[in-house]
Amino acid sequence: MKTPVSVLRLPRGPEPNSRGFDPNSPRYIALCPTTIPASQGNKADSVNLEEEQQLRSELRECFLRSLIAMTDKQVQFNLYEKVQVQAKFGASDIDVLNFQVSDLQTPLGVQKEALLRCQDMISYSFHL
Amino acid sequence: TVYKRFSTVLRNQSRMAMRQTPLTCSGHTRPVVDLAFSGITPYGYFLISACKDGKPMLRQGDTGDWIGTFLGHKGAVWGATLNKEATKAATAAADFSAKVWDAVTGDEVLTLAHKHIVKCVNFTQDSNCLLTGGNDKVLRIYDLSKPEAEPQEISGHTSAIKKALWCNDDQQILSAAEDKTIRLWDRNTGEAVKTLSFEASVSSMEYIPDGEILVITYGRTIAFYKAHTLDPIKTIDAPASIHSASLHPDKDFFVAGGDDFKLYKYDYSTKEEMESYKGHFGPVHCVRFSPDGELYASGSEDGTLRLWQTAVGKTYGLWKCVLPGEFERRFA
Repeated sequence: MKTPVSVLRLPRGPEPNSRGFDPNSPRYIALCPTTIPASQGNKADSVNLEEEQQLRSELRECFLRSLIAMTDKQVQFNLYEKVQVQAKFGASDIDVLNFQVSDLQTPLGVQKEALLRCQDMISYSFHL
Repeated sequence: TVYKRFSTVLRNQSRMAMRQTPLTCSGHTRPVVDLAFSGITPYGYFLISACKDGKPMLRQGDTGDWIGTFLGHKGAVWGATLNKEATKAATAAADFSAKVWDAVTGDEVLTLAHKHIVKCVNFTQDSNCLLTGGNDKVLRIYDLSKPEAEPQEISGHTSAIKKALWCNDDQQILSAAEDKTIRLWDRNTGEAVKTLSFEASVSSMEYIPDGEILVITYGRTIAFYKAHTLDPIKTIDAPASIHSASLHPDKDFFVAGGDDFKLYKYDYSTKEEMESYKGHFGPVHCVRFSPDGELYASGSEDGTLRLWQTAVGKTYGLWKCVLPGEFERRFA
């Protein structure tokens, strides 16, 4: 009877709520082409880098606040295939992969609760 | 030294007594139809799997640990590949598109619309061009620095293309189709240089640049050809219908899998079957050796990928060599 080879652990499986590609992994940090042009330059660009970082933080904060402002409001979603739907926005997941909505008006009727995939959206709008 | 020789003998003896423990990579929810390894990078090597669930996954090659899922396709993904550096990925899907991805961030970089199901994708060595093939029977070459430009098209196959590969320093293209032919094309002229016809449809194709060997499978046969000339080298018949085979980088063995759910390991020189392994719960669709030859990965109808050791019992990745206790106590 042969002894089975020992294994330290099993391979890690996918995380349930994330698409992965950990931005803190050594490979990501080393290779990820930063979208900040200034960071690819020399020390003289560090001032530009700081300014750009500042602007990016502001934009990100703006976006997150827009999601908060959207809560419980009627939102019009423009999806692919020229589909438009309206719903009451509930929340987004952490990676902005899905939006939780209520009373989704579709050509087939009203869906009380639904998840809209963000990858299916082209744009969305709402009144402040 | 006497110690080294003794420890090697004992290690080999205990390894011969060891049973292969395949490592199962779960996560896919439908059959895994294609897989590919990257080259060896400063961060190790990587593995991409194509699945009918439409969500190809990237994994660390030596452990099988999930790194990320490429989200975007709206249909079964039939083919997947990585460039050598594992910085780019490409996928071919039933949603009539091929996509190029940033394999570090997981972001979709490019969508290349086709007129039918896309079955296969392959990067050139410099990652600048992408070859695609699918059910519309046309090979396409995309210049990734000019993605809006029309691709170069190569026609000739009379049925759906299953697999297309760059070869001979990216100067030629090898394609296998449902028309039961394998064709060798000149990349510049788009002309067919040579055509091989078979009795059955070719189920898989692997190109080994070092040595210019082509590994193809059809029916129960694993066949080896010279890639430049398409001259036959040798053929081996397996106990069951084979869907995929892969030759070890050192060309001492090859592995194959198919309809009977098993993985077979053969000696390349003698053509003898060395081992067979059970483990999958469905037909094996694809099998590939890692770039360092230390393991091979298989993808199955059962929705899993499995990693298998080439040298069973060796310490590598997640496998640990455990010597007999007595020896360790006295000599470790």
